[in-house]
Amino acid sequence: MKVAGSYSLPVPVERAYALLQDPDALAKCIPGCEGLDRVAEDDYAMRMKMGIASISGRFDGKVRISEKNPPVSFRMSVEGAGKIGFMKGDGVISLAAADSGSNVQFDGDVQVGGTIANVGQRLIETTAKMIIKRFFDCLAQNCLPTGPP
Amino acid sequence: MIPQTFEYSAPATLAEALHMIDVEGDRKLLAGGMSLIPLMKLRLAQPGHLVDLGRVAGLTGIEAGGGKIRIGAMATHHDVETSAVVRANCPLLGETVGSIGDPQVRHRGTIGGSIAHADPAADYPAALLALEAQIRVVAAHRERTIAAEDFFMDAFTTPLEADEIVVEVLAPIEDSKEGYRYEKVAHPASGFAVVGIAARIQKTGGKITMARIGVTGLGSHAFRAHNAEALLEGGADVDAAAAVVGEGIDANSDLYASAEYRLHLARVHAARALRTALSRAE
Repeated sequence: MKVAGSYSLPVPVERAYALLQDPDALAKCIPGCEGLDRVAEDDYAMRMKMGIASISGRFDGKVRISEKNPPVSFRMSVEGAGKIGFMKGDGVISLAAADSGSNVQFDGDVQVGGTIANVGQRLIETTAKMIIKRFFDCLAQNCLPTGPP
Repeated sequence: MIPQTFEYSAPATLAEALHMIDVEGDRKLLAGGMSLIPLMKLRLAQPGHLVDLGRVAGLTGIEAGGGKIRIGAMATHHDVETSAVVRANCPLLGETVGSIGDPQVRHRGTIGGSIAHADPAADYPAALLALEAQIRVVAAHRERTIAAEDFFMDAFTTPLEADEIVVEVLAPIEDSKEGYRYEKVAHPASGFAVVGIAARIQKTGGKITMARIGVTGLGSHAFRAHNAEALLEGGADVDAAAAVVGEGIDANSDLYASAEYRLHLARVHAARALRTALSRAE
């Protein structure tokens, strides 16, 4: 399924670009992230615990960043698998300057499979959007300028 | 289809139940189990300890008084649907609840369980928003009452804390002259609302004086269509008001209904709900 959206971050594009690739910021803001470790220059191993409604499950996954074109765009690929299902996502994140800081646009494709997809089809897209929104809300909250850079 | 092993407790009083969940740990409340049990059987949910509210006394009553009706959290959908108190004082709620799932679900599922689960396509939230209902929740040493509009925060997300239990839903008694309607497009497999619109209208001499519209299924959580309500109260006609329902909402999409189709359904059914409500209003 296609997942696309746009969010604004209250910092200049250079800062937003760096933030979106900062393992500490990502680990803090990816909902349910229990650890994000750099395994190579642009490869990360991630552990996540998802908990939505009564559903909960752990996922082990990888995050890879490629096609870097700072500070305008990059590609992010995410893969994860756990007992309750698996997911694979791939998309381009592009940034543009805006009055309020920067505008982040993402356009990607997400595939979800396994038990969670078989019984949860009705709600996967809604939930995916909610998780992405939480991620950006968290980033926006954590990148507010709090003093001299 | 066999759940992971779990501990099970069936407290007899609310105090006992509150005490049981007021601890750290992987505990889950069980009400009617219409969502939780299937998830457990699929092992999508694996709570370590279930606290069953089914034997807690005093959570199933439905009564009217002081301008409100009070519905105990463990009242089943069937209890609400067939309650003379609901029919006489809050007919919108009775009409809404009659469209939930199937008779088996309505005999097991409860109002408290449904709203605490907060499925974005559940029927109850639309009606509770249109009714400006309140939800009373209790913890071991505190309690609070939350407006429906603050309760349905996001998909499966409510302000409930882990040590809190929904004990009752309070809905203002509807004016006997007001018109109401719940219009729903049911998902053919699940019975959940693809979209559901709960509408209330009061009018004086042909002019709409009060409009309330609750929408479920369209967005990541149920919401009130304040923009359409304001248009109606400002003298706009039904079609103009229905046409703005869902404006600014990121509509849900699944294999059955795309976002565009869902938004279209919501507006068509908002117009139908409003027309019926208008024709029922005196």
